[in-house]
This record gives sequence, C-alpha cells and structure tokens, in this order.
Amino acid sequence: MKLKLFFACIIFLVFSGLSHAQQTKTISGIITDANQVPLPGAEVKVDGKEIYDVTDFDGNFTLENVEVGDVFRVTFLGFAPQEVEVTENSNYSVVLQEDAGQLDEVVVVGYGSQSRADITGAIASVKSEDIVKQPALNAAQAVQGKVAGVNIIANDAPGSTPTVLVRGLGTAEGGRDPFYVVDGQPVQDIQNISPNDIESIEFLKGASYANIYGIRAANGVILITTKRGKGKPTFSFDTYYGIRTVQNQVEMANGSQYIDYFNEESAASGGYQLQQNQPFETDWYDELLQTGTISNNSFSVSGAGENIDYFLSYNFYDEEGILEENNYSRGTIRNNNTFHLFDDRFRIIQNLNISYTNESPKPFGSFSNAYRQSPLVPVFYPNGRFGQSYVNQTTGIVNYIGGEGESIGRLNPHGNPVSDVFFADEDINTTTLQGQITAELDLTDYLTFTTRFGATQFYYKRYAYTPTRERWLNADPRRTLEQFQQGRVDADGDGSISTEFANNSYTVRDENYFRWNIEGFLTFEKTFGKHNLDATVGISRENFGGREFLEGQAYDVFEERRFREISRRTANFFDNTVTQEFNQSTNLQSYFARAEYNFDKKYYLRAVVRRDGSSNFITGDNYFATFPAFSVGWTVTNEEFLNDSEVLNYFKIFAGWGEIGNANVPINIQQVNSGDGSRNTNYVFGPTQSLILGAAFGSPVETLEWETTQEWEVGFDYGLFDRKLTGTAAYYQRTNTNAIIQVTPLLNSAAEGNFLAQAAEVVNEGFEFLANWSDDINDDFSYNIGVNFSTNENTVQNVREAFDGQTGGSLGNGQITKRLKDGEPLFAWWMYEADGVWQTQQEIDNNPAVGNAAPGHLRYVDQNDDGVIDDRDKKYFGSYIPTYNYGVRFGVNYKNIDLSVDGYGVGGNKVYNGLKNTRLGGENVTLETFNNRWTGPGSTNSAPGADRDAIASSYYLEDGDFFRINNMTVGYTLEDISLVKRARIYFTLQNPFMFTDYSGFTPELNQNGNPKQTTGIELSAYPTTRSFLLGANLQL
Amino acid sequence: MKLKNIIHLLLFSLIIISCDEEFVEEVEIVDPTAEERGEFNVPVDFVNGVYGRHTDFAYAFAYLGITEIISDNADKGSAPTDTGTDKHLLDGLTHTTSTPSIQNMWTQWYKTIGRATLSIEFTEEYYAENPDPENLESRLIGEAKFLRALNYFWLVRSFGPIPLQHVSLVERAPVEEIYSYIEQDLNDAISLLPAKSEYAPSDLGRATSGAAQALLAKVYLYQEEWQAAADAANSVITSGEYGLEDDYATLWRESTENGIESIFELQGRGEIPAHGIQQYSSTQGARGPSGWGWGFNTPTEDLVNAFDSEEDEIRKNATIVFAGETLWDGREVDPAVENPRYNEKAYSSANAGAGDGDKNIRVLRYAEILLIYAEALNELGQTATAEDFLNMVRERVELEPKTGLSQEELRQAIWKERRLELAFEHDRWFDLIRTGQAAEEMIEHGKPFQTGRHELFPIPNDQLIQTPEMEQNPGW
Repeated sequence: MKLKLFFACIIFLVFSGLSHAQQTKTISGIITDANQVPLPGAEVKVDGKEIYDVTDFDGNFTLENVEVGDVFRVTFLGFAPQEVEVTENSNYSVVLQEDAGQLDEVVVVGYGSQSRADITGAIASVKSEDIVKQPALNAAQAVQGKVAGVNIIANDAPGSTPTVLVRGLGTAEGGRDPFYVVDGQPVQDIQNISPNDIESIEFLKGASYANIYGIRAANGVILITTKRGKGKPTFSFDTYYGIRTVQNQVEMANGSQYIDYFNEESAASGGYQLQQNQPFETDWYDELLQTGTISNNSFSVSGAGENIDYFLSYNFYDEEGILEENNYSRGTIRNNNTFHLFDDRFRIIQNLNISYTNESPKPFGSFSNAYRQSPLVPVFYPNGRFGQSYVNQTTGIVNYIGGEGESIGRLNPHGNPVSDVFFADEDINTTTLQGQITAELDLTDYLTFTTRFGATQFYYKRYAYTPTRERWLNADPRRTLEQFQQGRVDADGDGSISTEFANNSYTVRDENYFRWNIEGFLTFEKTFGKHNLDATVGISRENFGGREFLEGQAYDVFEERRFREISRRTANFFDNTVTQEFNQSTNLQSYFARAEYNFDKKYYLRAVVRRDGSSNFITGDNYFATFPAFSVGWTVTNEEFLNDSEVLNYFKIFAGWGEIGNANVPINIQQVNSGDGSRNTNYVFGPTQSLILGAAFGSPVETLEWETTQEWEVGFDYGLFDRKLTGTAAYYQRTNTNAIIQVTPLLNSAAEGNFLAQAAEVVNEGFEFLANWSDDINDDFSYNIGVNFSTNENTVQNVREAFDGQTGGSLGNGQITKRLKDGEPLFAWWMYEADGVWQTQQEIDNNPAVGNAAPGHLRYVDQNDDGVIDDRDKKYFGSYIPTYNYGVRFGVNYKNIDLSVDGYGVGGNKVYNGLKNTRLGGENVTLETFNNRWTGPGSTNSAPGADRDAIASSYYLEDGDFFRINNMTVGYTLEDISLVKRARIYFTLQNPFMFTDYSGFTPELNQNGNPKQTTGIELSAYPTTRSFLLGANLQL
Repeated sequence: MKLKNIIHLLLFSLIIISCDEEFVEEVEIVDPTAEERGEFNVPVDFVNGVYGRHTDFAYAFAYLGITEIISDNADKGSAPTDTGTDKHLLDGLTHTTSTPSIQNMWTQWYKTIGRATLSIEFTEEYYAENPDPENLESRLIGEAKFLRALNYFWLVRSFGPIPLQHVSLVERAPVEEIYSYIEQDLNDAISLLPAKSEYAPSDLGRATSGAAQALLAKVYLYQEEWQAAADAANSVITSGEYGLEDDYATLWRESTENGIESIFELQGRGEIPAHGIQQYSSTQGARGPSGWGWGFNTPTEDLVNAFDSEEDEIRKNATIVFAGETLWDGREVDPAVENPRYNEKAYSSANAGAGDGDKNIRVLRYAEILLIYAEALNELGQTATAEDFLNMVRERVELEPKTGLSQEELRQAIWKERRLELAFEHDRWFDLIRTGQAAEEMIEHGKPFQTGRHELFPIPNDQLIQTPEMEQNPGW
C-alpha cells in the first residue's frame, strides 16, 4: 500500500508543524456590516500564525499574543474578506462590505472550494435567488435556460424529474443522469431537496474539473450546496400559491367535422357511414383537464453564534396536476449545523434532511386517448356507464343500442380518457432520510484534514387498487352484473377462473435502499511569496445501488379504502402472490489527488487524478480505472501591460483536458438460453410426445468495462467596463471513446440475440457563450441583461463494422423512427421522406409506391430509384437533441419594485408528432388536420386525406424549435419596518408565452430521456403548463 | 477530549478506510451464477436446442408465405384487410428485398445452422473431457449434421449461392459448393446415426440414418444427379424401415405421427405443458363465424381443378377443408366462414386454434421417396420401372395406374403427382422452380413471374445493410 506510506509522511508533517509561540499583546474588536449590524460567526485569523477567533453573538472578537505589525484577516461568507494590520491600538472596528463581484465568489469544486478568480475551466454557478425565482419541485428544473452548455428538458407532470444533459448526450446504453453531490455527499438524485434550502448549484461541465469524481463524472457533475447559518438570527417565511393550465392546447375537430372525416375515411375502404344527427357530443379535453394548483410554504431559522452556525427549515410543496386528483406533495425538514471547537481549529458539520412525499399518479395515456377518442362518444351513457366508442354500424348512430339484426361495432379501439383517470387508484409514499457528519481539523494553518460520513435511507411504498369489475362493466355498457357473476363460475371445472373476473386486484409494493459513503482528505494551502500552492489528497469508500423490493398482490379484497388489506379478502378464488427482489449493490473504492499552482495569480497550472475501483467490474481483468486531468490558465489582465486598461478589467484564458468515466453501464453475461415451457430451445420426443428441455448458446459475450470520455476545452472569462459586462466563452469537444452499443448480430451468423459491445465513439462538441451586463445607474435604479448561448453537435463515429443499425423510437404500432448509424447523431431520425400526396390511382400505378397505397395517401420518395419503396429508401433527418439552446434574462430594480423576464429557447432539432401519425382509423383529428386534408384529386398536395396510412414519415417530423418566456416576475420589497427586516410580495407568470411552429402540445418531449425510446416523440406526453403565482417572503 | 486525541482518532479512521482494495471485492453478490442456480448443460441439451429451433413461430407463418402462398397452390386467404404483414405481397409476387417473411426464414435457417455447429463443437469438447457411457457422441453429432444439412438445403433452394457460415458471413459460395457441404454432412449423418428402428422409444422423432439418406436423395434430385438420387432413394426403399400408410386422409393426423410412412417430421405437443410449432394450426384455421384460426394459406381454385382433372377425390378431400363441410372428427365448418377453402393438413382436431398445437409438420415421408425414385429412374431412361413406383403412390388413393407413358409424359405425370400428393407440404414453389415450370404456371395463374428474377428470393435488405459487400441476387 503505497498510499499508506504516503499518509504516514503526511502525519509526520502535521506533527512537526504543531509547535511555537511568542508572547506580546491582546487585542479585541467588533465586526459589522455596512449598516453597523454586528456579524456573529465571522472568522478572524492572524496571517502566518496560529491565532484565531470567531466573533460572538454581538460581533466581538479577541486575539491574544499578537505583535504590532501582524496582519489579521477577517472572512465571512457573503462578504469580501478584509485584512487589517495590528497597530498600537487595542480596539478595532472592522466593517465588511458585501460581496458584489462575481469574481470574488466562492465556487464549490468538489473536495473543497475556490475563488472564482482561480478557476481555469467551465464551471457554472447558480445562486439561491435564481433558483427560487422559478418555482419548481426539483431545483434542476428551476435553472433551465440559465446555464450555457447544460440542456435541461423540463417536464411539468407533478412529481416529475427533468432530464439534464451536460454538454450533450454521450452514451447509448449507459446511464444518462449527471452525478449529484449534495454538500460533498454523493446522492441518487435531488428530488428530496427543497430548492429553498439551496445556497448554490455548481455545474462542473468540463472534464478537467468533473474529473475529481472519476468513474461517475461522464454525464457531468452537479454540486449542490445547502444553506448554512450566518449573522444574526433570522426568521424567514416564504410562500407562494398558483394555478396551472395547459399552455398550448391543440384544438380538435368537433362532432360534425369528425363525421365528415370519419365518413371519408370509411368510404375509402367501403365501410359504413355515420349519420349527421348524433345523440352525443363531447369535448374530451374540456372533460379531462382541470386547472391545477401549486403551492409552497417554507419557514427557516438561521444564524450564527460563537460556537455554532445553525440553519433549520421546513418546506411543504403541494401540487394538483391538470388531471383530476393527480396530486403530489412533499415535505422536507433540513437541519445544517456547524460546531466550531478549539478556537475554530476543529469544526464538526452536521447535515440532516428528511423528506416525505405523497403522490397519486394518473395515467398520462389519457392525454392521448382524449386526443384520439371521437367527440361523438359521451363521457357517460344515460344508464350511468362510461361512454365507449360503440357505434351502430347499420344505422350510423354512435351508440351501443341496436335493433334486431343491426350490427354494433366500435369506431376505434381507444378507451374513455375520463374513465382512465377515474379508475386509476394508486398512492405512492416515500420517505428519504439523508444526513452526514463532517469533521474538519486544521492541523496547521496550511493543512486541514477533513473526514466525512454520509448515508441515505430511502423508503418507498405503493398501493394500487384496480376495480376490475367496474372496469369490465364499463368497458361495454351492455354488460350486466349477472354476466360478470357467470364469469366467476368455474364452468369447465378445471379449478381455475380467469382473473379477468376478479372483483378487484390490489397491489402493495415496498421498496427501500440504503447507501453510505465515508471519505477523508487532506488539504494543503500555502503561499510562498508569489507562489501559491494548493493540494488535496484523499480517499473514499462508498456502497450504493443495492435496493430491495417486496410486492404482494391479492384479488377480491374489500372495496372500501380503509379495509383494503392483502390478507383480508371477500373470496378465495385467486391465490395471493408475493415477489421479492434484491438489486446488486456496488462497492466503490477511490483515491484522488489534486495539485494547483499559480504564480502571482497570473499563471495557473492544475493537475488532478482520480482512481476508482468498482465492484461492478470484478469479473473483468481489471476493476480499477485511473482518470487524469490537467488545466492551465493565464489571467492576462494581471500582467503589467494591462493593469491600467480602463475597458478590459478582467481577462483570463484557460484550457483543460481530462478523462471521466461512466460506470453506470449494462454488463454482458454469458447466456445459455434455456428454460421450460414453449420456447424454441425445447422440443418434443417419444411416442407420447414428451416435452424435452434443450438449450442454446446465446450471443458472444464481450467483456464490458466503464465508458471513458475524453474532453478538452478552451475558453476565456472576461470583464469589461468596470465589470459591468462579464462572461465566459468556451469551446469543448468530448468523446466517449468506448461507447457501449447494442448490436443486432448479423442475420446469417450463429449469434442469436442482440448483444452489447464497446464498439463506437460518441462525440459532442460545441461552443458556450455567456454575457451579463449589469449596471447600477443610481441608488434607485439598476438593471441587468444576461444572455447565454450554446451549441452542441452530436455524432456517432468509428463504429465497428456492421455493429450499428440498432433501431429505436417505436411508435407502438410496429413503426420505428430512429436508428443508430455511424456519422449521424445518436439515434437519429430515420424514416421515409414524404413528398406530396397521391392524387389518382393511375399515379400510384405508374410510380414506386408502398403496398396498399391509395389516392389521398402520402407519397414517399424512392431514394435509391430502384422502383420499390422499402427500408433502403429511409433517410436520416437529424436528431431530437437541439443543436443550440439559449437563455435570456432581463431584470430591473426601481426603488422598491423589481421586474424580471426570463426566456429560454432551443433549435435545430426535430420532434415527431406521434399522436397525429399513429391512427388505426376512426380516431379524432385536430382541427388543423381536418381543415388541411386532401379531399380529392387536385385538392392539396401537402396533407394526406382522411384515409391515410400510419407509416412513419418525415411528414410528421416537425421542427422542434421553440422560444418560451418561462418567467415574468414583478415584486415589491419593503425593508426595515419595525421588526421586519425585509418583506417582498411578487407575482410570477410561469411559461406565459411559447413561440413554436410545432403542431402538437409541446415540443419539449422528455419522456424518460432514453434516446432509443420515445424521447422526442409526442404520444402521451404531459403538456407544458402555464402558471400564475402569487408569493411573499418575509424576513424577521 | 484533547485536540491531540481527536487528531489521532481521525487519522486512525483514515488508515482504516485506506486499508486495501479488497473492499471492492467485499460486495455481496446477490445474483447467482448458472452453476450456483444448479443449471449446467450437457451436449444432448444443445442438440435438442437445434431441433427446438424448428418450433419457432417462423414455421407457423413466414414459412407458409414463402413455400405455399407464393405458389399456385395457395392464396393468402384470411380477411382482405388482414395482410398477414406481407403475405399479400408474396401471394401477388410483389415481394421485395425487405419482405419480413423472407428475412425471417433466412435468419431462422442460419441461426439453426449456428446452433448445430455450436452443438457439434460443444459435444466434441465435452466428450474429450467427460465419459460417454451411453455412447452418445457420434449420434448427437450425426443429428446435428442432419439438421444443419436440412437447413442449408432449405437455404440453397431459396436463395441460391449463399455464404457458408463457417467460411464467411459475407462471401457467397457457389451452389455446387453448398451442395457438396450438405452431402458431406448427410453422408456423415448416415454413418453416425442409427436407423429408425434402432432408437429407443423415448427418442422417437430424432434424425435417423434413413432420414439422412432420404434427404440426400432429395438433394441429388435438386441437382439433377439422377443416378445418385435413385441410389439414395433406393436405399431408403430397401431399408425395410418405411412403407405407405393405408389411408391417405390420416397422413397428417395425430394417429400417423412418426408412423410407418414418416421419415422425418417436426414435432409438436398440444397437451399441457404444450409446445407446438407455435400456431401452425391456428394461423391456417378457418376464420370467421365459429372458426378457429386466422384463415391464412388457403387452397386455390387452381389446385381444386388439378385434383378434379385427375378425379382425385380422396386427396382433394384430405387436403382441403370446404366451407360448410363436416370434418372427419365431426366438427361442422360454418358456411359463412371468411374463405371458401382451408388447408386441412394443418388442421388439428385436438388443438384447432391453440397457441401451441399438436400438429407435426411432415418434412420427409415415404411417398415422396417413391416419387423421387420414379423421377430419377425416368430421367435415367428406366421409364417402365419408374411407372411402378409412381403407381404405388396412385394406388393408395384409388387412381388408375399410369402405364405405357413416354419419358416426357411420365415426367409430367410425376410432377403433377408431386403436386397432388405433396400439396401444402411446403414443396410446391420449389418444385415449380426446380422443374422450370414456374414462369408458365405462375403467369397462367395470373401472377407477374419474372424469369431471371423470381427463381430466387432476394437476400434480405437488413442483411445487406449489415454486410454491404455481399452481392444481391440477380434482378433484385
């Protein structure tokens, strides 16, 4: 153990540094802010000596054994540090100025923090006021559009998580989530953290900084720092309440338009016609949607005393979605304390976060059913049953009633969206306990030792009740209870009854996981003349990923909610089942070291190395991976020749290179396909034809390891015009050098199933540009304008021959829309190119056409001119991932009034309107589709007729560009009125306007973020919502 | 507590966690390996797996498309709106390079060949290290070789020159090379396999030396190596292992499974635990009122006429289910079913519409060997002897014997006999191609047969996307 030796050396160093002293005088003083308010908990430290104090409740400090000529330094979070020279005076009054400039801010970088001025890479910070401004459940959603190079795809469903892509999508099969670290503690996600408790979020975008988290950093690292107490005791109340509606509702055809459309469609295949007079008419979206509500109340108390900083908060977030009873609520309790012991040479930092959520999900498939279901179907029939798409095909009346010999059919196979929501009865409760204890010990004034233990315990409980009988009865209004009861009779005497005829089914699921981490590191920080040296070396262990679930299912339980219990049943026809599963957990052992040097704050040099060993890969040859990184910087404005520049106040060039990994990848397992039952490894032999089990070799197994991404970046930070204009520009190129792809074996090879291979590279490159202009015109008036813009180009390259070709983006009707191909973006759109509409049968006969083509259908381009339309004519059409995105912000403060407008936009991408495309026949259409349709030869050559095919084509692929004003806020602030330190009321419009050409509900189609699946395809997406919020903050 | 003690404590904790890298290995593995689950396989399992491949759904649907529906014997059937994915294209001879049924069988056959090769390798490796008290090694290798030959035969007659999997996955070997590889496998199988009667009853259904011999006869027939075909057929005939069933109508029923006439068949089981050739019976079952299936692969008017022109009532009624008729087991077929005729050979009395049926697909049976023998002898100029063997087949179905025909007349008679005797036994299309009748017959049948193109199926497009260097068949 070389490392052990290394630490032994360090220990030596430590003890040799722990001696000395000389006697002189004692001084004391008071630290205040500009308003003469004392600052408790400020640190006062004599340069180069072990003399130290922390101000008490009234801002007082005392320093013993100081000499005249010593310099003491006063630091306090949020204020600019100040140095004071000891004179003959014994009493000092120090006034700290609030930190204004971005360059003095402290940036958390992982295992430590740095001044912004010393950073040589692309790190974006978002501070608490920007996070709380956009109310959201998850802080990541709140910062959408605020960080260049980070593409956050929002999802407005209650309780949902946004998709976060840091510098593009770099993996096909691996995990895509960024790595979240909260106050130094690695966590699964940040769903359990209230945005109100967050002090800052740092995005470690570039590999040269993210690299400190090694094998888990490839999707970017997001560091969350929660609030700590400072200053006098402060009581803070925040509350907001708002309402939500669908932002961009699509208008559907009405009843009589539907009849026209249906009849045209039906006529084409010689089917029946609907009559003009129909008994029912329904606007499904009207029936389905409601005005949602959102509210949040939070309370916190914080402050700093002589030996303790404290922060205690309670938050309660509550939301009802736009579907009835689609609720989500979350309560969080956070307690962060820091104990300063032994003259602040030893600090114990304790964090605790308890969060509990209650959720009642509703099926989002109801959105697509509302789109598809015919407006002639009622919500309820007069007999009280839910409406279904029954139609009397003989009379053409949409109803289930028919006379003798009349034929009752269905308009379409879709259900009643209102009943979907009505019958969904599901509750999910979770509790997350997360905490850690950190001990920091100043071994000498330049050497600090930190050790930390953190753990998370998560509990999940789900209760789902399905009223099978009511669903059965409501699926067809003609069904009777007697018929249902007959189904419950074991007619064939085989002792079993179909669970279709259970009265209900009830599922209870219990899940939990525990994860922990322990780490220790030494931090060295010393200045030798103009040479500044920082170094960190440490070690950590973690266990995570283990998860247990236990699920029980019963049929025929009591209907009434409070009596529902798996073991209390009304009948014993059906057996209860129990399932239990354990997930494999991962042990991770890591070593890390970082050294940073700068000369006179001009020339910067930095090197980092991380070594991770993961138990996921112990079957491979090597389960340890080493990730190096370097970066350099040059602060040009600290050079003599620019010292006096009036325009250019700050200019720093930086460049970096680093390697980062993604360990969240699937593992190949040698498979022998076998098992019982009717599968194609088994066969039948013998006179009585006995089932004999067999086996077959699956596909070849390639040993897989973590994905390794290499990235380099180059950029500059700038400040101009008295730093009114500040910003950053950067260029990056990151390459996943051994991306795992799923390979469809050659059709004529022996390999049977798809298998995984590390056989491709995924390259992301782009520019990031950030500019902020802020100006205080006078005491009453200030304003700021911010713009960020970033580009991203995604390419799959160097795929091993014949290993690409995996398809994806299934529309659920046998049509696929995406394909992984060398030279294209990951899972690029791949489909026929639509070119006009067939006008006549003659045209079809004389040109290449798909089978079943008919006049009014779309016509597809025969790309290879072989006279046949087949897969070879499919074409690549780019990606759902935007090639650029941008955010703009504008804020004004005038006296007590503040006003801000934030906007966000993306472009260069395509999204697929799957709702419009995937028709089986008999569905409703949008008003636009109705108005534009082909109605006969010569009517139009751009939109298909009512009779159309459901083949995926470029016709349904639309530009995904949008620009959305995502926040408009106006506030009014009052300060220092008797007890009240600060009070503000505000009105916020969230997502008031969106500008897009997309014809569906929202071009922001996150789904689960999986590029292979329906990401970028609108099928049953939750629409973007618009909110009106009224809120207030009060600080005492 | 003194600060110094705290320092010691913290440093101690650091040393503990820095210990060594064993921590990574300490994780508790909760997923058992195959051995820990108590699962390990012996060679016979993998050979069974090769057979098992023949129970894939491909044989219940795609196979119908490219062997029968495409020919003049069968129409797509089913409802006009139900295309069966691509069966309408095959029926209309408008299939393309991306027609799924073709790709399906191409893949199916190659994967089966892969299983056979891997099972041979595994068997050899296994018995090099383990005892073989039951002397299974040579038999298992023989079975795998027979199945590999069968699948290569199906491939070569469908696609022409194709890659030999063990040589290259890209380069297409000439047809002669493929046939000689098939012959090699079959000759090995003949010497390695026991005869049908030598198997233990529990192994009924496995490949036999007779099956290998019979397939060899058919392989030679396709190459027009008449003497070799005649010799191979003759050795099957003289083996004494096989004969004709008395009643033609029972040939495809459960009662004759693996019977006297059966040389090789694919096995299905309908009783629980059921494992059939998937829905082979239900895809072809009558569709509509009181029907039991999807209604695909229906006999054509043309086939009915062919039976009628020979006044061949027995085989017509045994081959075709007519709407409104009462079947042999008493099932009444509703007159209002979707199609006028269905394939009776696919009908399962016990598992008519089941997901897994008991129907065995007869791959090789004695009557065909007689016809191969007759055809080969006729081509060798022994027309009179050939007539005797043709008449053995005709006699069973009470048709007049053919006598005194010229070589050409007998050739035509044998071809027609093959059509009627082997209708819906997945050979018609290949007979049409093999005998050069395809263009004339299909065009007469109203299908746009293109000479020089339709003789072979196209190499599936997905294959060519994966291996662009592979050449496509002519005309595609």
